Amino acid sequence: MAGEGEGVVFDIQHYAVTDGPGIRTLVFLKGCPLRCAWCCNPESQRRGPDLRHSAPRCRGCFACQAACPGGGVSREGGRPVFDRARCCPADPWACVEACPQGALSRVGEAMSADRVMARVAADKPFYDNSGGGVTFSGGEPFAQASFLRGLLERSRSLGIHAAVETCGCADASDVAASAEQVDLFLFDLKSADPACHEALTGASNDRILRNLRFLSANYPDRLLVRVPLVPGFTDSPENLSGIAGLLVELRVTRVELMPYHELGRDKYKGLARPYPIPTPRPADLAASAARAVSVFRSRGIDSTVGGV
Amino acid sequence: MTIADLQTPAFVPREVRGLPSSPGTAALKQRYLSSPLMVDVEYLRHLTASHRRTDGLETLERRAEDHAFALEHLTPVIHPMDRLAGNKTRFIRGAVPYANYAAGPFLREIRRQEQDAQQKVAEQGTGGGIALARERAEQEGLTVLSGKFLISAEDLEEFKDLCGYWEDRCMMAAGERLWKSSFVHGAFIESGWTVGLYTAPHDPCPEGRIVLDFETALARGNEAILAEIEERISGFQPRAIPEARSLYFWRAARRALKGALAFAERHAREAERLASVEKDPARRIELLETAAACRRVPRHPPRTFREAVQSFWFTYLLGHLEGAHLGYSPGRLDQVLHPWFVRDGGVSFDEAVTIFEELFVKMTQIEYIASMSWQGLGHGNLFQNCMLGGLDAEGRPADNEMSLAILQAQINMQMTQPTLSVWYDDSLSDAFLMKAAECAKTGVGYPAFFNLKTYVRHEREASGLPESVIRSHAAMGGCTEPTLQGMSYGVVQAGFVNHGKLIDLTLGDGLDPVTGLRLFPPRPLSTYEDVEASYVENMHAAVRRWQQYWNYVMLAHRETVPLVFCSVFVQDCLGRGLCMDDGGAVVNRTPTTLSSGLVNVANSLAAIRRLCYHDRVVTLDELRRALADNWKGHDLLRKKALAVAKWGNDDDEADAIFLRLFDDYCRWVAGQDNYLGCPYDPSMLAISTPVPFGKVCAAFPDGRRAGEPLADGVTSPFPGTDTHGPTAVIRSSGKVDHARIRGGLLNLKFHPTALKGEKGSRNLLALIKTYFDMPGFHVQFNVVDSEMLRDAQAHPDRYRDLVVRVAGFSAYWVEMSRALQDQVLWRTEHGW
Repeated sequence: MAGEGEGVVFDIQHYAVTDGPGIRTLVFLKGCPLRCAWCCNPESQRRGPDLRHSAPRCRGCFACQAACPGGGVSREGGRPVFDRARCCPADPWACVEACPQGALSRVGEAMSADRVMARVAADKPFYDNSGGGVTFSGGEPFAQASFLRGLLERSRSLGIHAAVETCGCADASDVAASAEQVDLFLFDLKSADPACHEALTGASNDRILRNLRFLSANYPDRLLVRVPLVPGFTDSPENLSGIAGLLVELRVTRVELMPYHELGRDKYKGLARPYPIPTPRPADLAASAARAVSVFRSRGIDSTVGGV
Repeated sequence: MTIADLQTPAFVPREVRGLPSSPGTAALKQRYLSSPLMVDVEYLRHLTASHRRTDGLETLERRAEDHAFALEHLTPVIHPMDRLAGNKTRFIRGAVPYANYAAGPFLREIRRQEQDAQQKVAEQGTGGGIALARERAEQEGLTVLSGKFLISAEDLEEFKDLCGYWEDRCMMAAGERLWKSSFVHGAFIESGWTVGLYTAPHDPCPEGRIVLDFETALARGNEAILAEIEERISGFQPRAIPEARSLYFWRAARRALKGALAFAERHAREAERLASVEKDPARRIELLETAAACRRVPRHPPRTFREAVQSFWFTYLLGHLEGAHLGYSPGRLDQVLHPWFVRDGGVSFDEAVTIFEELFVKMTQIEYIASMSWQGLGHGNLFQNCMLGGLDAEGRPADNEMSLAILQAQINMQMTQPTLSVWYDDSLSDAFLMKAAECAKTGVGYPAFFNLKTYVRHEREASGLPESVIRSHAAMGGCTEPTLQGMSYGVVQAGFVNHGKLIDLTLGDGLDPVTGLRLFPPRPLSTYEDVEASYVENMHAAVRRWQQYWNYVMLAHRETVPLVFCSVFVQDCLGRGLCMDDGGAVVNRTPTTLSSGLVNVANSLAAIRRLCYHDRVVTLDELRRALADNWKGHDLLRKKALAVAKWGNDDDEADAIFLRLFDDYCRWVAGQDNYLGCPYDPSMLAISTPVPFGKVCAAFPDGRRAGEPLADGVTSPFPGTDTHGPTAVIRSSGKVDHARIRGGLLNLKFHPTALKGEKGSRNLLALIKTYFDMPGFHVQFNVVDSEMLRDAQAHPDRYRDLVVRVAGFSAYWVEMSRALQDQVLWRTEHGW
């Protein structure tokens, strides 16, 4: 786990261009209070590090089994199976070290804010020339609220445009404390209806709606609401109408629609978790996006299809 | 685990797909795509006929006489639909086999062909025109030559005779007579070829990397130039050697120009003949226009834009015919043609686009046949580089309507030739730069972007010319080597030094681990510093001997195949009375020493330093055993080797090694003078050398397995080792002092989604600007997605016009070798 002043980061991606303006660096923070079935970063959900196994790279040599001090690796059809509950706390990554093929990896690294920002700041000339900056994503960045605050403070003092991609499920005090240092909130809204939201994500949208109200009232120019269009989950006309109604009430006039993709599908296999969503037909996705655009337009909300 | 290596999304169509602007140019492109590759011996036939009867003439005069004689006898061919007159061969896609440069390799090829009619050529592509050639060969009783070219049985017999004539007379034979019995390191060079330390012998030593003075050619017209030559001849009295020899050059120049005028006139007559029998009145008018243009240019300055293009094409083509060129380039075409576009007044922008489309089909129809080794290296690409934008003499942005028209023409056509490049400066117009980004997004692999500031600094230091001259003449001789248009020596193409093989030889104590040949004495390797010093000493010896060898080759070039026609259009050959081979050009520091694979050296040294001397997880001997086993049974050690930080991640430790080696290479190269008495210019390119060079190399300490390709480009990271994204690649590359070398190459590959829309174009331009502020020198982009490429491998026929950028040039994807296709795929996927 992370030490004093450190956060858990599971990826840093340079030349990111879809989460905010210009050329950006995306910093992915680990941990999320929601459990959306369609999450494309399932490895982001737990706060602590995860063990990931890549089946295509594995040659079934069982060096991992020999290395595991806790006996957490068993055989099944010539391939290793990992009992993640038995990962030995004394030497939890012995299997990763021992794997000659690089099939095992550890997801999530403890990093200091300074180390993260050194990576981010290295691309400052790219941000300056493109109007870009850094985007803190996740997971839910506010799940590591004090670490995030440190990152935002450093971004501000380095003169780097900072965006936060959030699901909004955060303590109001944390959001309020950081808001001044955030140049852009990419606010991911799944549903306006509490029961529906709980069914979709495993959590109530109480805090989410409170934070959305706070930001739309106080920082309307720094807020971009984004709605994922997950077939069979969030893209029903009722759900979208509910969101549109809320946005009208909050005087939010523009929304970005995020068509579904299944880039995360393989990750579930690596984490030994099932993936619950059947592959949709491209035509259905296009139809869903067109429907969504018209729902928002009918309520006077300008919508763009983005995120890809 | 990163997000990046999980991104293998489904098919994403390319955002920009152009279409020919007219049914005519669409038909021209289609005709090109469906034509087989032919060898045409006609030029060689006439050249040889002349050579048989010119024994005794002075070298330059004889060369000019033979070339001019050929021009006066070549069949003038105007294919249906053609409006621009003049082809290099009688065929749509044809190559001239220059046996006068090197006959031996062709003879060997013919003999091999006879022995094994069913030969399978492993490392050339099999799709597209090549597949067509093989099909036609079977149906029509033609012979496949050099893997992909067709030749009729009759022509093959004649070709054999012609090669026999040249076997002892060609440049290669003259060179071998010279260096084999006088160069003390001759045996070393031959060993170097055997182990793959150098590109194969100079068969048939290509010319190239030259841009002629088209501005003067168009503005003055050949008649005025001829008059100037006449004046020089009549006003000259030979008094003292060597100045007295100027007379020979001027006489030769006069002969070459007269041949050129005859060539144009023969095309005028042919166009008139065709017009007289043409039924279609519209086509008849076209042919009469063509005839009128051929009567007018290149003798006189053009009257219309179309005549200006015809005049350019004649001069360009006749220079191209004279030598076995690679990297012979059109240069600043937008600058050369813009005044004629403005003057014409009657021609619209759209019409100009269509005319450029015609021209670019013409340029792509020129094929290149050489020994298999060179063909394999170039993948048939001629490296005709057209530069756009840049600055004028006063330092004002030079992009104009023709820059846009040329970009639009290639967006529409996506021909492999000419490859387009942008001389980048911050002051260029937004419309032009956005159009350039749009062209890059077609996935065609061009334009490449070059930083003019960096080159100006290099050329100022190299030649001492004023900035205004460098700015207004800056062009590109071939893929990534800048040169001054109409002012610089065209290079007798130097081969490459394989840095990868030097890793093999250094770790092998001077012995080549693949062949067992000894090239260097053993040197101590007990500390890391020893290992690096040993590589450097070996590199020094390999480079110096290679340079010295090339000076013998250039000397033999002077005595056998000096370029006379081309010299007329290079300043200040006429003024000095010297051809380029005698130092007539204003700048004679263009010959470069080429090498590739330095990234693998830096990565390997970084791994050795970490694993053997710093962390001490393995001894050097144990590491060498793992390499000898090609990493088999050493997976865990290989994983550790791969994990050591590599070049291209902005890692100071790895980058420091690369920068140190780069610096030493530049310094060392300049320590040797070329044949013209100027220091060799350091350069690094790649073209396709990473594939053949990698093929001959054993496993490397950086984790690369035996036979795998080396890193492509010059500062491009080794595939799969750039784990910190494109900006880190650029930060590493930006640490290099690019002004020290003539050339340099950074390939970046992007998935189309990274460049989507106007925002994507703006980001791309911001990335270029950031790199050039560092200052970088060159960057080019592959916009591909892996699904598309994989599908192209499975179904080449569906991707006939798919073009991909590889190491400094474009070639049709389906005509590239599988090994090279795999390299591109591998880069795309970033997966070890």
